[in-house]
Amino acid sequence: MEASQSEVNPNPNPNPNTNNNVNRNSIMSSAPLWPTIDGPLGLTEEESLSYSRRFYKFGYALLPWLWAVNCFYFWPALRHPSSFPRIRRYVVGSAIGFTVFTALLCSWALTFAVGGEDLFGPVWEKLVMYNLADRLGLTGWS
Amino acid sequence: MAQNRRSKSILDSVGEEIIRIITPVSICMFMVVLMVCVLNTDSSDSASSSVPTIATIAYTETGSDSWWDKLKGALLNSLVFVAVITLATFLILLLFYFRCTRFLKFYMGFSAFIVLGFMGGEILLFMLEDFRIPIDCITFLVVLFNFTAVGVLAAFMSKMAIFVTQSYLVIIGVLVAYWFTLLPEWTTWMLLVALALYDLAAVLLPVGPLRLLVELAISRDEEIPALVFEARPVVVEDSVSNDNNNNTRFISTEDTELSAPLIDHRITLQLNRPEDALSSESWSLERIGLGSAGAIKLGLGDFIFYSVLVGRAAMYDLMTVYACYLAIMAGLGITLLLLALYEKALPALPVSIALGVLFYFLTRLVLEVFVVQCSLNLLMF
Repeated sequence: MEASQSEVNPNPNPNPNTNNNVNRNSIMSSAPLWPTIDGPLGLTEEESLSYSRRFYKFGYALLPWLWAVNCFYFWPALRHPSSFPRIRRYVVGSAIGFTVFTALLCSWALTFAVGGEDLFGPVWEKLVMYNLADRLGLTGWS
Repeated sequence: MAQNRRSKSILDSVGEEIIRIITPVSICMFMVVLMVCVLNTDSSDSASSSVPTIATIAYTETGSDSWWDKLKGALLNSLVFVAVITLATFLILLLFYFRCTRFLKFYMGFSAFIVLGFMGGEILLFMLEDFRIPIDCITFLVVLFNFTAVGVLAAFMSKMAIFVTQSYLVIIGVLVAYWFTLLPEWTTWMLLVALALYDLAAVLLPVGPLRLLVELAISRDEEIPALVFEARPVVVEDSVSNDNNNNTRFISTEDTELSAPLIDHRITLQLNRPEDALSSESWSLERIGLGSAGAIKLGLGDFIFYSVLVGRAAMYDLMTVYACYLAIMAGLGITLLLLALYEKALPALPVSIALGVLFYFLTRLVLEVFVVQCSLNLLMF
């Protein structure tokens, strides 16, 4: 009896031990009740909407990591296509933004690292971080 | 599911809670040891870069001083440091009393920014230089900016994802602890002992600032805005089916004693300029206690000073690391036991630091000789 209660109605006795609680619920009811990954310890749906929207907007300030955190935090909204449609819009946008930005950044970093001086010429020595740190004395604090 | 399911024992709930505190503490210590081993391989201990900070303001240790001079200097340094911390704590108490909560929260975010941005950046640069990783400055800046910005949000906002907040708190602890291990040796040990004693006094004495802060927070039923690590609360569902009447009894949450105090404190770190001397830093220490949902709260200062102890032990040898780790875990276990017993704010530093320092010196002076001799004579490895 206690077990079935926890599957159908997690409200009185939530079990935040497992982050997959909402996923287990979804198997039974196909709709997670909590939009955040923390389950009942997280935000309500209205708060989630405002948080998700703010994260999405702030991510445009060159913050793909914030987009990734947005996806992580509202994972139930991403995982179940039918739930939380308003939140899902921002979370999917964040996921796309994160993927695109990371792809661009990784390709640039790899080009820089692999290409080296052959590709860039003398500019490489000027751009690489350890030289820059030496020149500006950034690690000379001690 | 069977009706007569075996009820969860207290080990499942209490053990789970303890594990949820011990895991991040262990991760923090492990990362500091790793960083010490990786970044300090070339610099010797006596020629350690003396970082001019408030912790060395009274005396800068040099390798050639006599034993007695070093002791006096270290004592002076730690007294100055503890005095500064006491003043800072009273300042925070005052601000909290006048309900300047926004200012305190803003200050927390600012200190997180400084630690993650500047100190995290410095340590990343150390690693880049050591390993000659060819990252360009644009990527580096973007990555650092992202890392710092999300960290500041995690420290600033109370409603971020629990995992993200906990990870960033551990990272802040690791960075600050690594920086502390750069202090000269005698000063570090004396500082640890002095802070353990200060902790004891500040939390248990009636005039202690931490005790006053906690009581103020309880009387107002507010949370102190501070960098404190809160373990995810364990919710125990216990069903005992009475065979006669087929009843099931529920205990929904195990510790709903909302009267359990919150013991928080803050880490505030001010850096004026990174190349310059770290001229002023104000520290407040954190305590261990019970949050309002029965979750265990451990202050970030405790994380930091445990890791400083283990990091310092790592600078000598890994044998001392193992000994000190076990000592600190034993101390933490004892403190949690006392917490369960007394159910009020307790200082988490004294027992662990006492055991840790004791084990460090015993290992270094006594155990090492024994183990080395055994190994050399092929008796034990």
